[in-house]
Amino acid sequence: MTEQNDNNFDRRQLLNRAGKAGISIAAAGLISYRLYDKNGPEIGVDAESLVTLPDFRVPAKAGQTISIVKGPDRKATVNKAIELLGGIERFVKPDETVAIKPNVAFASSPMLGATAHPALVAEVVRLCYEAGAKQVIVTDNPINDPSSCFTLSGIGKTADQAGARVILPKENLFRHTTLENGKLIRNWPVFFGPFENVDRLIGISPVKDHARAGASMAMKNWYGLLGGRRNVFHQDINTIIAELSMMVKPTLVILDGTEVMMTNGPTGGSVSDLKRADTLIASTNMVAADSYGCSLLNLKISDLPYLSKAQDAGAGTTDYESLEPIFETL
Amino acid sequence: MSSVPGRNKRLESAISILLLAILLLIGLGVFIKQFNVDMGRFGIDTTTAGPSLEQTAAITQEPVLDALKPDGFDKLAETETYNTGNLYEKINGKAPLYLESGFNKLSTQRFINKDDENLWFELFVFDMAAVRNAFSVYSVQKRPDTHTLAFAGSGPCYKTSNGVYFTHGRYYIELIGSTESTILDEAMIKIAEKFAGQTAIDDEKITEFALFPEENIIQGSFKLYLANAFGFEGFTDIFACRYKLDDESITAFLSRRPDPKDAQSTAEKYYNFLIENDAVAKPPTNTVLKDNNVKVLDFYGTTEIIFSTGPFVAGVHEAENQTAAEQLAAKLLAKLSKIAKEE
Repeated sequence: MTEQNDNNFDRRQLLNRAGKAGISIAAAGLISYRLYDKNGPEIGVDAESLVTLPDFRVPAKAGQTISIVKGPDRKATVNKAIELLGGIERFVKPDETVAIKPNVAFASSPMLGATAHPALVAEVVRLCYEAGAKQVIVTDNPINDPSSCFTLSGIGKTADQAGARVILPKENLFRHTTLENGKLIRNWPVFFGPFENVDRLIGISPVKDHARAGASMAMKNWYGLLGGRRNVFHQDINTIIAELSMMVKPTLVILDGTEVMMTNGPTGGSVSDLKRADTLIASTNMVAADSYGCSLLNLKISDLPYLSKAQDAGAGTTDYESLEPIFETL
Repeated sequence: MSSVPGRNKRLESAISILLLAILLLIGLGVFIKQFNVDMGRFGIDTTTAGPSLEQTAAITQEPVLDALKPDGFDKLAETETYNTGNLYEKINGKAPLYLESGFNKLSTQRFINKDDENLWFELFVFDMAAVRNAFSVYSVQKRPDTHTLAFAGSGPCYKTSNGVYFTHGRYYIELIGSTESTILDEAMIKIAEKFAGQTAIDDEKITEFALFPEENIIQGSFKLYLANAFGFEGFTDIFACRYKLDDESITAFLSRRPDPKDAQSTAEKYYNFLIENDAVAKPPTNTVLKDNNVKVLDFYGTTEIIFSTGPFVAGVHEAENQTAAEQLAAKLLAKLSKIAKEE
C-alpha cells in the first residue's frame, strides 16, 4: 500500500492503471455486444412453437396455369375459367376439406367492389361440394369488425346458404410464424387455425386500386392472414406482399375483374369508382394472375414493384404470356 | 488504511453519491419502462393473437351522430371512433392519405331502413383539424362527372348514385349508401343538411381560389395537394383547377410560398425534377412568357409550364395543347403578378 500512499503517481503506475481501466471497459463492451439481441424478445414463442402454413398446391400442368374469361356473369365466367384449367376435379378431390379465403376486408356493400363478390364466393363453394369436398370453410381476418364485414358484404349469408362453414377470427386461431428468409414476417401472428387441417386453399379477390400498394389483387388478399399490428407493414408494402406470396401456397386463386375499382381504393365508396372490365382470371400462379390483373387498372407490371419481388422470390412469374394463358369470351 | 494527503474526501463522497443516484435513477427508469414497452416494435402483438373484436375499434358514444338519425331509420350499431393510431382498422390502405393531411379523428355511424334491411348507409365524419386539410382530402378523392349539391352551411358538396360527399369547416363527410336508392338519397341529404346546420365551425376561408383567373374555369374542379403534388416531393400546398380552352381541359396550378425567394427556388426545383425525369425544355411561343423567363417543357408529349412571380409559384400541368396552355399561363402570370405588386 506504500505506493498508494505516495502523493504522486509515477508514469509506470499511471500506465498500469490506465491499462487496467481500458481492459475493464473493453471487457464490459464485449460482454454487452455478445449479449445484445437485435431481434428483441420473443415473448412466449419459442422456435418449436412456430407454425408454417401447409403447401396447398396441385401439380402443375403445362398450358393450364392461367385462364382469362371475359363475360359479365361471375357464375358463368368462374365456371368456364376453372373448366379451362382442367375442371374443379383437378383442384378438389372427394372427401377433401377446402378453405376459401375471400377478401372480406371491409364492412361495405358488395355493390362497392371493396370485397369479394358474394355470388362468386357462393359459386366456388358450390363447385367444391360438387367435386365431392367433405367440407368447405369460408374465412378471413378482416380489418373492420369481422362480424359486420361478413354480414354487410353479403359473404357470410351466401356462403352459409351454399353450405360452407363460416369461420370468424378468434384469438385461439392465431399462431406465430416465421417466413424462411423473410425480412418482415418473423415471429408474427397469423390466422392459422382454419387452415391447419384443410387439404386445399382457394383465394378469391376483386381487382382494386390501392392507395398504398398501387393495386390490391390475389397476392394482397393474403394480407388478411396477418394478425397483430399489421398496419406497420404499410411502410414496406411491396416487401410484405412479396413475402405473403412466399408464405401462402394456394391451390388456386380467382381474381375478379368483372367490376374493377379504378380509383379511391382500397375502400372505394362510390359506384363511380368502379369500371366494368367483365374479366375473371383463374390461376395456379398468383404472380401471373396479378401481372395480368394490373392491366385492368391501366397499370404496367413495373408500376407494382411487389410483382417483380415475388417473382425474384420464386413465387411465380410476371411473364404470364409464357404460361400460354387460355383466353375465352362468353 | 491511512488517508491520502491531498485528497478531498468530502468531494469524493459527494461525487460517489451523485453517481450512485444517477445509476439508481437509470435503474428506476428501466424498471418503469419495462411495464410500458411497445412490443409492436418487435412484431409482437401483446394479445399473442390476431385482433379481437374489442380491438377492432374503440367504440364510444357520440351523441352528435346518434342525433342525426333520419325518420324511418334505426341505428345499425353504436358509433365508432378512430384516431391516428387505429384509423387503418377502418380504411386500411387509405389511412395514409388522411394521416398525411392532418387527420385528427373519425366518427362513423350506420343507419338502416326500418322497412328494408338491404337499405342502409354509413356516415363518416373525418375531423381533419383545419379547413384546408378537409378540402384537400375531399378534392383529391372527388369523383368526376358527379352531381353538385348545395345546402346552407356546407362547403363544396356532391353526390354520386350511392353517396353524398362534402366538407363543413374542418370536417370532411362521406355518406355511403348500400345501394342506389332514392330512399337512401333523401335520408343521406337530410343528414348532411342537419350536420351542416347543427355543427359550429370556425370562420376560416381558403383564399387561394380567388387567385385563379375566372374566365373559362371549370366550376368545382379545384384540388388542393398538401404534399407530393404531381409526384414531386417538394411541391406542397399546391392548388390546382381545370379550364376549358379550345374544347380541351387544361390544369393550372399555383401555390403561395413564404416569400419570393422560396417561390423562385421551388419553381427551379420543380423544373429540375421534370428535367431529371426526361422532360425537354422548349422555347415559349407566347411573347409574354418569353419576356418573363417562363419555363416551358415537353413531358412525354404534354406541355408543362412553370414560373414564379412574387410569392407565387405557378404553372400549367400536362396540357395536350401547347398554345392553349401558354395562353392560360399568360393569364395566370398576369393576375398573380398584379396581386404580388399590390401586396
